[in-house]
Amino acid sequence: MAITRADFPLPDVSDDLVAGYFFGAAAGEVRIPRCSACDRWCWYPEAACPGCGGELVWTATTGRATLFSWAVVWRAFLPAFADIVPFVTALVALEEEPSIRLVTMIIDVSSESLVADMPVEAVFRPLRFPTVPDREVIVPMFRPIEAVS
Amino acid sequence: MDDGPEWGHATEFGDIAGQVAIVGIGETAYTRASGRSAREIGAEAAERAITDCGLAPGDIDGLTYSAAFADFDVAAFHDHFGTSHEMWSSPWGGGMSWAGTAPYLAAKAIERGDARHVLNVFPVAWASQRGGMTGGPGEVHASQSLKQNLEVPFGWFPQPVYFATIMRRHMIEFGTKPEHFGAVAVAARWNANRNPDAVMHGKKMDLDDYAAAPMLAEPLRLFDSCLISDGGAAYVTASLDRARDLPHPPVVVQGVGEGISGSGQHWSQQRPFTSTPQVFSAPLAFTMAGLTPRDVDVLAVYDPFTVVTIMQIEDMGFCRKGEGGPFVEEVSLWWNGEGLPCNTHGGLLSHAYVLGIAHVVELVKQLRETASAQVYDCEVGVYGGYTGMHASTLVLTVDR
Repeated sequence: MAITRADFPLPDVSDDLVAGYFFGAAAGEVRIPRCSACDRWCWYPEAACPGCGGELVWTATTGRATLFSWAVVWRAFLPAFADIVPFVTALVALEEEPSIRLVTMIIDVSSESLVADMPVEAVFRPLRFPTVPDREVIVPMFRPIEAVS
Repeated sequence: MDDGPEWGHATEFGDIAGQVAIVGIGETAYTRASGRSAREIGAEAAERAITDCGLAPGDIDGLTYSAAFADFDVAAFHDHFGTSHEMWSSPWGGGMSWAGTAPYLAAKAIERGDARHVLNVFPVAWASQRGGMTGGPGEVHASQSLKQNLEVPFGWFPQPVYFATIMRRHMIEFGTKPEHFGAVAVAARWNANRNPDAVMHGKKMDLDDYAAAPMLAEPLRLFDSCLISDGGAAYVTASLDRARDLPHPPVVVQGVGEGISGSGQHWSQQRPFTSTPQVFSAPLAFTMAGLTPRDVDVLAVYDPFTVVTIMQIEDMGFCRKGEGGPFVEEVSLWWNGEGLPCNTHGGLLSHAYVLGIAHVVELVKQLRETASAQVYDCEVGVYGGYTGMHASTLVLTVDR
């Protein structure tokens, strides 16, 4: 079961199940699988709609969400994160379907100013780790909507 | 947030109240890295449990173990004991939530005539394996592709980070305070200090120590998190009639429940983020037993993080939802307190991280009145198992 993928902990964009999320981010959108038959949003991604078996299509959202919960990570549990602690990892509830929670990082704001359920918006930033040289993946991160960078 | 009644369900269990009893228990040493394999640890726990109930390995004709770990299965049993007899077995036992439901599987196997004496074993060697993600709880999670691609890259990994966000949400929704989580950690350590077998025995800790410990993932501090350990335990279940012929007072299985979340296996997507499937499990187990939370003399809840103790105490009905924080502060969890003695061996937080099997063994000791941190006049013990999307409830009494 050991993880041998050299670019870990970057996401594996060659994994068909999740590739659409990262293609979306590269295009500046938060895309979530949505059923073409019954319109249901499906998260995490699955092979087919868990409701009706219909085809799931990566569909753009507004990229707006609310801050459901967060942690300020001080301990680098993986060596890749050693240079960025402390950082804020979070769950945000999507505006279109709040039962969908995206795991993300909150950026461009001090952790002390975070407030439960505050509105946040996606920003698309390259994720890089010093342990994975010369590689990056653009991912959705989030920041408070009031914060102007 | 309206979680609705449909976010999970209970497994349909037949009424087995009073049918079977736990007749033997066995434990290995609980340690930091020992260099031993889980299989060796499992064999030792099994041997001690069989000896404890006055039986021979050839009498054990049923075995339950963990499908996820499978360190001590029928082949390992026969290898260790040099036996070759037919054995009924199920991989849906072992530790975690299944430490609470294995007696149900045993009861049904015994009822069908498939077995007379059923051994449930769970060993773990995660302290020895943790180096370099070559084993242990982190690797188990990181190897799942959705977590690896949609959670780990954002630093939402490993378990202490999940539970830091669960703590935060519990604080947001219910006003739970750091000192409430601290009360759980301090009680576990207090209890461990009464138990010479606990890894943290002899290491005192109070609320000031708790607050001074490093943040791992704010709001989660070092002592909100369980240990990483090597160790294992086992217990033997038999019919109540058979149990009465064996050396120890039978510890009778009066109620069993299992709850399953419908939100899948990922913590991030659990719809009621601050509840556990105990909501579904506990009521059935208490009903089967004809008892209520008020009747419980000693509780053992799966406590990988302090917030899980609080959530389970709420979800099992010891207090109202959201009041678990003030409850654990006002109602002592100490073995010798006036409140609700909980995890009297020290729990995953301060005894050993052996994934719940030692919790059940501790309840058996309490009901036999042989525990180190013995609760006075102990007649009813309850285990609350938890594995994220699963929870179990096991209600035990003693037949003196």
